[in-house]
Amino acid sequence: MLVKPKAKNARAKRFLVAREAKVVENPKTAIIVRGSSTSQVILDTLKDLYALHKPHAINFTKKNQIHPFDDETGIEFFSRKNDSSLFAIGMHSKKRPHNLILGRTFDYHLLDMIELGVEKCVPIKDVGNPTCAIGARPLMVFNGETFAQDERMILLKSLLLDFFRGEDSDRVSLKGLEHVITVTAGPAGPNGEPGLVFLRTYTIDLKKSGVRQPRVELTEMGPSLDLRIRRVRYPADDMWKQAIRMPKELKEPKVKNITRDGLGDKYGRVHLGKQDISKLQTRKVKALRKRLDSRPAKKQRTE
Amino acid sequence: MDVSGILEEHKSRFRPVQVERLIPVEHDLGCLASFDINLLDAGRLRDEGKARERYLKELSREGVQLLANELFSAPTVVDEDSVYAELPKRTTVLPREKPVPKEKPMTRWEKFAKTKGIQTHKKGAMVFDEARGEWRPRFGFKGVNNDDQKPWLIEVPQNADQYQDQYQVRRDEKRARIDKNARRQQRNAEEAAAKSLGLKNPYSMRKRDLQSALVLSKGSTASMGKFDAKLEGEPRVKGLRKKRPALVAADGAEKARSMEILGRVAKGDSSATVLNVRKAQRAMNNSNKSSSSSQAKPKANPRSSGNKRKSRA
Repeated sequence: MLVKPKAKNARAKRFLVAREAKVVENPKTAIIVRGSSTSQVILDTLKDLYALHKPHAINFTKKNQIHPFDDETGIEFFSRKNDSSLFAIGMHSKKRPHNLILGRTFDYHLLDMIELGVEKCVPIKDVGNPTCAIGARPLMVFNGETFAQDERMILLKSLLLDFFRGEDSDRVSLKGLEHVITVTAGPAGPNGEPGLVFLRTYTIDLKKSGVRQPRVELTEMGPSLDLRIRRVRYPADDMWKQAIRMPKELKEPKVKNITRDGLGDKYGRVHLGKQDISKLQTRKVKALRKRLDSRPAKKQRTE
Repeated sequence: MDVSGILEEHKSRFRPVQVERLIPVEHDLGCLASFDINLLDAGRLRDEGKARERYLKELSREGVQLLANELFSAPTVVDEDSVYAELPKRTTVLPREKPVPKEKPMTRWEKFAKTKGIQTHKKGAMVFDEARGEWRPRFGFKGVNNDDQKPWLIEVPQNADQYQDQYQVRRDEKRARIDKNARRQQRNAEEAAAKSLGLKNPYSMRKRDLQSALVLSKGSTASMGKFDAKLEGEPRVKGLRKKRPALVAADGAEKARSMEILGRVAKGDSSATVLNVRKAQRAMNNSNKSSSSSQAKPKANPRSSGNKRKSRA
């Protein structure tokens, strides 16, 4: 019989329930994986990615023979074991120096990933400025029109947003805006390939400005990464469709007969029932009076 | 009264919060992000050195300023310790981690309750026990549901056998209730499983499982079940064939196989003897039974006849 296995004790049950598909999902866990051969640049990058992601990240400090562009089973296995859906893998080889792979999984299957060459990395510890608190939600700023045009850059934007957005919440503490991750697209190459991508992290100081909105000042926090896009794996259409499906419970109920136009004006459509024309009161004309006209005629005859 | 001078002076004490952008910047406050598609200064970005860093910082500051302006104009809630800005729903489409959970099929009771319009309401886990003056669990360990199990005295019912153990009767009744509930749960689980597979009922699921098991079992005989006794209503399976190694194999596999057999024979390995003892014995038995033909059969080697299994029917 194909009946689901039951947990035999409360601990096992909690474990299984925590891994079940949920309507409102928990924040995604990232695994930070060290490849079989790495460089100092890559190690610094991985360390800082871990630091930025911390309460929801698992750091793999041992070497792992893993190449998701050739064989995706390894990363899917890690994903299943750790119940994680984001991964960052760092490796270094002659062919692809300082290689960083960012990707995500859906239902423990590889969804999409992007391979980046780290051309420069200034880690947090080298900057030496005060850092944000662990688990603080960052602001994200994307500069450059290619983030809306180039396929690869759109994917990179989506991945970075997913990586750093943290927990979804309906409110944010205005005092808790501690740091910002800005991603700027550098000028494109001669053949239209995307140029360098500058990822910078700053802490935010909110200064008095005399108005309600504060004056923002930034201090460098690190890491500062200069990234170049290498190989890309786009999501399969059907898997993507599955992944962006919204649960019925979270969909906003449809409001009938009320529309808004682009300017924010509200339009209502009013439905009236079918009008009863037989009771319609038209203009009172003598010629149209049936009964009143016929009665006096009869009366006249009888008289 | 002209206050413009005072306003000017007040303004000059602070640095501005306004940022000029040709194309308005898009914000997604749900994930605290902004997307600026204005043209960037390619020259300063190409410069490798301080100029690029300065430009990036300036650009970032302006971006954050715009985002902060937006956030600080959002409606706020004051909680105990801090001021919170209320965020709208995220507009950027990001994939989920796991698929949307499937709806659980209703149990028989739930279906019934729905048709009858029965509303269930949660009962508390604890009940107040008036006699003892304390709160006790409704079910389970030290629960009130066990109170009927062990009273110090039970009246024997009028028509009951007076030698019957009334405690045992109550234990049996409780066990029967538990068993019945377990059967109901099992039935609900099976029906749910069948429904999730797109089958009509658990019966069709069992039938399907049985048929697949039957096909699997055929692999246990050398003839792939060709000579097995047929069951009633057994499905005919096409393409069930024994897998034999190809006679002509590539990359030296054929040679390796032959060499292995030769090697075993040359070594005098008893498992590689040319005579299959068991087969020979069976043949002998068969010939004895039929006794119609008295052909010379190879005789079994008594020394190596370690087979305790009788010949298969």
